[in-house]
Amino acid sequence: MIDVRPDVTEEFLMASNGPTDQVLVIPCSGIGKVHGLISREAVYRVTDALMPGHADTVCLALLVTGDAETREKVRHHPCITVDGCPKLCARKNVEMTGGEVALGVRVYDTLKRHRGAQFGSPTSLSDQGWQAVEEIAEEITQTVHQVVLK
Amino acid sequence: MSETTKVGIIACSGEEIAAGTISRLATRRVLELLRPQTTVTLCLPLFLAGEEQERRFARQHPTITVDGCEKLCAKRGTEQYSGQVAASLVVSDILGDRVATCHRSARDFDRSDEEAVWLLAERIAVEVDTLSAAHSTTDADADRTASACGCACGGQPAQGNLRLDGKTVTVNGLPLIFDQLFRMGVVPDDNQADRLLNAVRVYHAIEAHEDDWYRNAVAQAYTSYYRGRTQPDVPADALLGN
Repeated sequence: MIDVRPDVTEEFLMASNGPTDQVLVIPCSGIGKVHGLISREAVYRVTDALMPGHADTVCLALLVTGDAETREKVRHHPCITVDGCPKLCARKNVEMTGGEVALGVRVYDTLKRHRGAQFGSPTSLSDQGWQAVEEIAEEITQTVHQVVLK
Repeated sequence: MSETTKVGIIACSGEEIAAGTISRLATRRVLELLRPQTTVTLCLPLFLAGEEQERRFARQHPTITVDGCEKLCAKRGTEQYSGQVAASLVVSDILGDRVATCHRSARDFDRSDEEAVWLLAERIAVEVDTLSAAHSTTDADADRTASACGCACGGQPAQGNLRLDGKTVTVNGLPLIFDQLFRMGVVPDDNQADRLLNAVRVYHAIEAHEDDWYRNAVAQAYTSYYRGRTQPDVPADALLGN
């Protein structure tokens, strides 16, 4: 399940006075369940393989601690957050920093579509877990395309 | 240790760097395998996104932070939103140049990542023991002999048995300790007996007067394990008393 805000891209481009060539994709930091690992692996898949150069990530903890450089980066790039659980740490922290969330992915909703599947553990993924990673990475990539290649 | 004084471990969230991944995996290893009875954790960003319950964490538990880099987000975030940390570890300080060969994605993991996770997990476990001793209120033997995994995974920690002067002693993580030694190329011979003993000692309390018993028992068990790995028709698990 994807929480899409198509208007955000337009808003962002207008506010930033021009197009952007990079999107920040920020995963959840969760280590209690498999969901956090899936969110991070999906992000790495996008930043390292599917959209290198157009998608980058930052440490969520740097936002939590108020790192000036990271906050500026988040405020000046469209963001995609990838949260593992309903606490939505990634999304909330980006919004609290003043960043625009162009897309909010909720891993737990995506996994609900695969009822009965075993995705792995907080430290390793099963084949079904890696399939979920690919599915989420594809969804993120579509939005990155819309934002940077329009 | 009392149920109410479990040691908290807060890993670096460090999604951007390999050291963050190593920090999280080592923390999970301590929670699931090395010290399952005495440790708990919390996701660092929950301090901001969560509620009062999350923010009480470091006030309720003596807390170790495990930061990936010198920015010390875990330590600073914990102290800013929760409470003073009891110990602060930094992955780059502990692993040094080894971090440069690690990867942030499990897709790329190799032997250098495995070794880094083990080394860091061992270091965290030592820190947990130090804090546990300081906060100890009950018989430590209860922790040593309990078998249920105390983390959220709902599983059982990997265990192996040693025959010790006619008694059977269960050691948490013995198969994984042996697996790591095997991967490091340790061959079972007399020269390695102390190395084997010291590897087990990290995860299992051994009194000074028990050294000789454990040294012999561990060497014997590792010899059997090694044989099982190098001769496929011998099941290694069976040779660990499982």
